[in-house]
Amino acid sequence: MNCYLCERVLPFLPSWRGLFFNDFQQVICEKCKSGFERISGVVCPMCGSASEGLCKDCLYWETTEYAGLLRSGTSLYYYNEAMKDYLHQYKFLKDIVLSEVFVSELRNELSRTKAIIVPVPMHPHKMKERTFSQVDCILDAAGLSYSHYLTKSEQVQGKKTKRERMSTPDLFFWNGRAVPEKILLVDDLYTTGTTIRHAAKELKKAGAVEISFFTLIRG
Amino acid sequence: MTELEQFLTGRIWLRDFMPFAQKEVDAAISAGKIGIKKGITENKECARCLEKSPQKIISFYCANCQGICYYCRHCLKMGRISSCTELIYWADPSPNPQSPHSFTWNGVLTNAQQRASDEVLESLSLNQSHLVYAVCGAGKTELLFPPLAKALEKGQRVCIAAPRTDVVLELSPRIKAVFPDTVVHTLYGGSPEETGFATIVVATTHQLYRFEDTFDVIIVDEADAFPYSCDPSLERAVMKAKRSEAPIVYVSATPSDRLLKEISKQSRIFSRFHGHPLPVPRFQSLWNYKKTFARNKIPILLTRWIEDRLAKKEPFLVFFPTIELIEQVVPLFKMLNERIEAVHASDPGRKEKVMKLRKGELPGVLTSTILERGITIPNIQVAVVGADESIFNASALIQIAGRAGRAPDFPAGDVVFFHNGIVRQMDKAKRQIISYNRGEFV
Repeated sequence: MNCYLCERVLPFLPSWRGLFFNDFQQVICEKCKSGFERISGVVCPMCGSASEGLCKDCLYWETTEYAGLLRSGTSLYYYNEAMKDYLHQYKFLKDIVLSEVFVSELRNELSRTKAIIVPVPMHPHKMKERTFSQVDCILDAAGLSYSHYLTKSEQVQGKKTKRERMSTPDLFFWNGRAVPEKILLVDDLYTTGTTIRHAAKELKKAGAVEISFFTLIRG
Repeated sequence: MTELEQFLTGRIWLRDFMPFAQKEVDAAISAGKIGIKKGITENKECARCLEKSPQKIISFYCANCQGICYYCRHCLKMGRISSCTELIYWADPSPNPQSPHSFTWNGVLTNAQQRASDEVLESLSLNQSHLVYAVCGAGKTELLFPPLAKALEKGQRVCIAAPRTDVVLELSPRIKAVFPDTVVHTLYGGSPEETGFATIVVATTHQLYRFEDTFDVIIVDEADAFPYSCDPSLERAVMKAKRSEAPIVYVSATPSDRLLKEISKQSRIFSRFHGHPLPVPRFQSLWNYKKTFARNKIPILLTRWIEDRLAKKEPFLVFFPTIELIEQVVPLFKMLNERIEAVHASDPGRKEKVMKLRKGELPGVLTSTILERGITIPNIQVAVVGADESIFNASALIQIAGRAGRAPDFPAGDVVFFHNGIVRQMDKAKRQIISYNRGEFV
């Protein structure tokens, strides 16, 4: 098999672990893998970005109506060039197999959570256009179960300035299903935190008690 | 011919990615001028690149068509094709537009070039494929001008396909200069938009996925990589882009055994246009060179070779087997001369660095195999480090050696294969070059 990203042949490395455990197969080569940079060291306790104490963005959020919504948050990777290329190929070239790239990392982070995983949803039009939901697909690939309690409104976040994004009207609506107490929101990319906070606000209104979040990438 | 027809004739294009107003396209579809194909056929084959291996045709649950859909990973970068996307083509082609072409070339062909040129003309007049087997620097492009002029005169549509963008970019201006009244399109990944109906298309082989049943002649340049063992879909692309009966002219310095066997019409040129023999590579052992590099030292024999070039102010190319090794050793070479640069495939400054080397602004360049073909720098001296590595097969080594001695003023040039043990491919390359110089064929 070839690396999904650079098409180089993946070497098959036999190991005892491979023989006894049904591990997920590697789909990218070591070189491509080494291009992704994990966030490490001291992080903001609220959003997981590299920062000592609360980061600037979270400090700002805590002065708004969104204060106190999030218990904690984790992001795995920096949004570096390799990650931009990955996300481009996955989301914009719509290369769905790339949902398998971070399977082991996702399982390590999420398989033991006691909270219910809630992916940040896409607007149905957007979904039809893209033909798949990038967040649902990475969770499916990792074999993690999840539930949807939200519906996306018309708003598009990507093309706005930071200020505009931080003050947009409600992005999500509750879909009416009974909401569990503990929730882990999952998204692909955390940039300003607006999306996650809007989702959290709506979920809290619908009855959620403790909301954390996880994103693959921190922009 | 409307602009839409000019664009779409002979092409097969994603409906959603047309550079025309949707209304115009829709009108032509309802008028029956444009035909529609499913992106992935019932047999799970990509209708654009003809890929059908299950590793490349991927099934998924599609939110657009609300069911199981397939998409093609193979030609993904040209815009994703899936079962529910539509490809369109001009269903009702007019005859090729007949416009006068002028042929402004007053160069002179050598006897060997002239003979090959005549033989290609003859094959094309009989609608037969032809192989031009000519050494690096034989003047292959020039000998194709008269057959190209003849094809245009007959009102034919011609494609010149080359495996790499660099080669396309070098060929295209030469073709345009010789046929100034002809619409020539230059197509490669990320190429600027072209307009009008192209009678000549100069393109990377990949771009031929987007054509269908249109060319009356295809010239496959640098065909030694053909039938492209690494990517069989490129051969299918060539076959798909031409009309079924159209002949192919293969041009190569190192043709594969299969081409030599299958193409009965052949022309061979084993001397360079300036009449001087090809520089014969010499072998130089560089035992455990990787360990020496790992100790942050350049092996002494290689240092001497570089210093010799620097002292004589001769430009040089040093080929390495991997990009990783180049990156590791660049700082060491910069200690010999800080203007020595490295070039590899994904280097955005590649063109400028080669240009600087040509102008003498850089003393030398370290490179991967990316520069093995298509570049001509007078008095260039060539070294291969790790010539025994498997990436350097005989044809790659012949191409690399072929960089040296191309200019009539400097017909010689040093070609050194630094190795960690002589391998068969090195021997084969050297034997072949010697036999070319003797005018015989192994």
